[in-house]
Amino acid sequence: MEAILTERVQNSLRLFMFKNAIFLCERLFAEFPSEVNLQLLAACYLQNNQAYSAYHILKGTQTAQSRYLFAISCFQMDLLSEAETALCHANEPGGEIPNGAAGHYLLGLIYRYTDRKKSAIHHFRLALSIDPLLWAAYEELSVLGAAEEATAVFGEAAALCIQKQYLHQGEATLQISSEDYNLVSSRNFASEDACPRQVKHTQGNSYRDILGNNHGAAVSSGAASQPQNDGPSPFYNTPSPMASQLSGVAPPPLCRNVQPNGSNLNKGNTDGSPRSVVNTTIQAPRRKFVDEGKLRKISGRLFSNSGPRRSTRLSGDSRANTNANASVVAGNGTNNSSKYLGSSKLSSVALRKGQSRANENIEEGLRTEAVDDARANMVPVTSSSVSSGDVRSHGQDGATVLVGGVVISGSKVISGASEVLCLLRTLGEGYRLSCLYRCQDALDTYLRLPHKHYNTGWVMSQVGKAHFELVDYLEAEQAFSLARRVSPYSLEGMDVYSTVLYHLKEDMKLSYLAQELISTDRLAPQSWCAVGNCYSLQKDHETSLKNFQRAVQLNPRFAYAHTLCGHEYVALEDFENGIKSYQNALCIDYRHYNAWYGLGMIYLRQEKFEFSEHHFGMAFQINPRSSVIMSFLGTALHALKKSEDAIEIMDRAILADKKNPLPMYQKANILMSLEKFDDALEVLEDLKEYAPHESSVHALMGKIFKRRNMHEKAMLHFGIALDLKPSAIDVATIKAAIEKLHVPDELDDNL
Amino acid sequence: MATESSESEEEGKITGGNQHLIVEDDLREMGKKAAWSVSSCKTGNGVSSVRDDNLETYWQSDGAQPHLVNIQFQKKVKLQLVVLFVDFKLDESYTPSKISIRAGDGFHNLKEIKTVELVKPTGWVYLSLSGNDPRETFVNTFMLQIAVLSNHLNGRDTHVRQIKVYGPRPNSIPHQPFQFTSREFITYSIVR
Repeated sequence: MEAILTERVQNSLRLFMFKNAIFLCERLFAEFPSEVNLQLLAACYLQNNQAYSAYHILKGTQTAQSRYLFAISCFQMDLLSEAETALCHANEPGGEIPNGAAGHYLLGLIYRYTDRKKSAIHHFRLALSIDPLLWAAYEELSVLGAAEEATAVFGEAAALCIQKQYLHQGEATLQISSEDYNLVSSRNFASEDACPRQVKHTQGNSYRDILGNNHGAAVSSGAASQPQNDGPSPFYNTPSPMASQLSGVAPPPLCRNVQPNGSNLNKGNTDGSPRSVVNTTIQAPRRKFVDEGKLRKISGRLFSNSGPRRSTRLSGDSRANTNANASVVAGNGTNNSSKYLGSSKLSSVALRKGQSRANENIEEGLRTEAVDDARANMVPVTSSSVSSGDVRSHGQDGATVLVGGVVISGSKVISGASEVLCLLRTLGEGYRLSCLYRCQDALDTYLRLPHKHYNTGWVMSQVGKAHFELVDYLEAEQAFSLARRVSPYSLEGMDVYSTVLYHLKEDMKLSYLAQELISTDRLAPQSWCAVGNCYSLQKDHETSLKNFQRAVQLNPRFAYAHTLCGHEYVALEDFENGIKSYQNALCIDYRHYNAWYGLGMIYLRQEKFEFSEHHFGMAFQINPRSSVIMSFLGTALHALKKSEDAIEIMDRAILADKKNPLPMYQKANILMSLEKFDDALEVLEDLKEYAPHESSVHALMGKIFKRRNMHEKAMLHFGIALDLKPSAIDVATIKAAIEKLHVPDELDDNL
Repeated sequence: MATESSESEEEGKITGGNQHLIVEDDLREMGKKAAWSVSSCKTGNGVSSVRDDNLETYWQSDGAQPHLVNIQFQKKVKLQLVVLFVDFKLDESYTPSKISIRAGDGFHNLKEIKTVELVKPTGWVYLSLSGNDPRETFVNTFMLQIAVLSNHLNGRDTHVRQIKVYGPRPNSIPHQPFQFTSREFITYSIVR
C-alpha cells in the first residue's frame, strides 16, 4: 500500500496535481508515519505554496534532509533565524550542512538577508566549490561584489571537480562497501519503501531513487525497463558493474515496478523524437547531480541505521540482474554518447532557462531543490536543478558514466562538462563585470556568446542594463525591446527598462509596457515599478509612490523598489521618509549605488554637505565610471569649498563620458564662483556648441557677462535664454536680471 | 499661465469658470503643506470640505463678513496661483462676489495683494497672484488669506466648494542656478 501511495503521490506531483498529491500523501503519512514520508509530504506542501504547512510538520525534525526542507519553509515564511538554526545548529559549528551545495547556498542567502555579508560570501563560495554549476550562488557573489573571475570559478578545476563527482558516483555505485554507495543504496532502499514512487516518475526520478545518483539509477531503471521499452534503452549506456549495482539496488520493487516504470519510460521517451527523449534524460542528470551532492552529505545521517542491511540486499540482488542490464546497456553506448553530445546544446538551453528561472525567483529555485530532495519528480524542478547540477561527466576515459540515465563515455562527459562551463564562464564574467559596473567590458564579454544565447531574454536584458549604466539610453531601449520580443513573459530587468523609458520621456511606450507587465503578472514587483514610473513621468508623484509601495509589499527584498519609493518621497519633499526608503534599499543591497546617490541628493538639498559628500563618495566607489555621480560629487565638494578637488572631479567626469554636458556646466558654475570668469566662459562656449538649445547655458553666460559688466553681451545671452523657454522661475529670474543690468552686483540680491 | 475666461484686467471682474481644472505643468499644488483654517463654519461644512477634492461638499461660513480662509505655511513659499471652485447655479446667494487675497507673515501684517469681483461664476476660477513686473511673478510669503467680502444677492454666508493654491516647481537638481530645459541636460541630470 505504501509503495502504491508513494508512487501515486509522486506522479501527481510530477503532473502538477498538487491537491491530489497532498491528499494522498497525508493518507500515506497517516498510515506509515516515517520520516521519508514526512519529507514527501513537506515537499508536496512546498510545491503547493504552503510553506507554513511544511513548517509545522517539519518542526523539530533532525534528519539532514528534513532540516533542509524545514529551512526552506522557514526561508519562505521569512523566519530567517529559524532557518539558520535548522541548517547549522548554533552549538555545532562544525556540523555538516545538509544537501551540500544547496544547503550552503540557502545559508548564504540567509546570511545575506540578515546582513552578515562575510559569512554569506563564505557560504556561496563553498556552494560553488561543491557544485561549480550552481549559477545562482555565483550571481549572489557578483551582487555582493565578491565574485572571483569567472574563468577561475568555471574553469579547469570546475571541470575536474565535476568529473570527479560523476566518477565518484560511478565508483561508489561500483563498490558496495564504499560509504557513498551505502548511502546511495540505503537511500535507494529508503526510496524503495515507496517503490512505485521512484518508478512512476520520469526516468530521472526513478534513477535517482534507485541509486540516488545519476548514473546508477538511470541505468538500472532504463535497463530494467528495457524489455518493455525500446525507447529509453538506446540512451543508457552504463558500465556493467554499475548496471548491476543499479539493478541490484531495487530488485524486488523494481520487478514489480518495472512495468509501470517501463510504461512510464515509454510514455516519456517515445512520445517525442529522440531529441526530446534525450532532453528529458539530460534533465534528469542535472537533477541528479544536485541530489548526488546533497545525497552524499545527507545520506549518511538519513540512512545510517538502515545501511548495512540494505547494502547486503543490494549486493545480493545486484548480481541477479547484472547480465541482463549489461547486455542491454552495452549495445547502446555509442548511440548514447553521440546523442548526448547532440543534446548538450539542449542542455545548455535548458541550463539557461534554469538560470533565468533561478535568477528570477530564488525561492522558487530553492523550493524546487527541496522538492528534488523530497524526491518528488517535477519537470520544472528538474530544469532548475539542471542549472545547478549540469551534466557531470566522468573523467575516466573508456569508462562510461551514467549521467541521469544517459550513459556517456568518459571523454564525452568531459567535453560536455567543459562546454557547459565555457558557456557559464562567459555569462558569469559578463554578469560579474556588469555588477562591478565595468559595463563596456561586460558588453564585450556578452558579445562573445553565440547568437542563440545572445538572443535570449536574460542576456538581452543584461545587455540593456549595461547600456543603461553607461547612460546610453537609446541602445538600452533597443536591447530591452529585443528582450521583450524574444521572451515577452519574462519580467527580469523590466523595471530597468521602465526607467530607461522614463529617462527618454517616452510616455506612450512606458504606459504600454506597464500595462503589458501588469497583465502578465500582477504580483511581480517589476510590473508595479513600471506603472509607478509611468505616473512619475506625468509628475503624479503621489500615485507613483503608491505603486512603488505596492512593489515593495510584493517583494520586500527588491532593492530597486525601495530606491524608487525614495525618489518619489524626495519629489514630494518628504525627506525623512525618503531617507528611510533609501536606507531600506541599502540594507538589502549595499552596493545599490542609486540609493547612495539618492541619500547624497537629499543631504545636498538639506545643505548637509559633509554627509552629501560621503554618500556621493560611496556611490562613486561602487560605480567609478558614472559621470553623473562624479559631477554630483564635484558639486558637493564645491559646496564644501574644496573647489580644487571639485574641478578635478569635473574634468574626470567630462573625460569619462563625452556625451554628458552636465559636468561642463557644473565646472563653469564652479569657475564662476571662483571668479575665473574667462575660463568659465570658455567652457560655456564649448557647451553651447554641444547643446545649443539649453536655456540655462545662455542664462549662465548672461550672468557672467553681467558680472564682468559687458552689458550688451549679457543682454544678448539673456535674450537667447528667454527665447529658449525656461521655466517660470527662471523667466522671472532672468527678466529681473535684465532689469537690473545696470545695477552693480552688490545691490543685486536676486542673482 | 492658467487659462482664464473673460477676465478684464482693469476692472478685476471675473465671469464664467471652467468645469475642468487645467493647470500648467510647471506649477504644483502647495496646499498640502499648509495649515488651513476658517473664520467660522457651520457644523458639517468645515474647512476640510474645501480641501477634499470633492465638489459636492462645501465650506459654509456662519458669522459676520468678511469670511476668511487662512492658509499658513511653515516656511516662506512662492505662490503663483489660487484657484477656487464656486458655482452660482448651485449656491446662488451663497456664491462669493468680492474676494480679497492678502499675504503676509502672520495675522498681524497681512497686506492685500489682489481683489477680484466674481460675476455669476460657474466653475473653477483662476486668480493669478503675479504682478506685472517679472520680478513679481510669485508671492513669497508665510501666509495667505482669502477673504470673502460680499456674496451674490447680498447673502450673508458663503459657500466655497474647493480651493487650490499653486506655486512653481522647485528645481529638481539642487544647487543649480537655473533649471534645465533641453533633453540632453535633463537626461544626464539625475540618476534614477
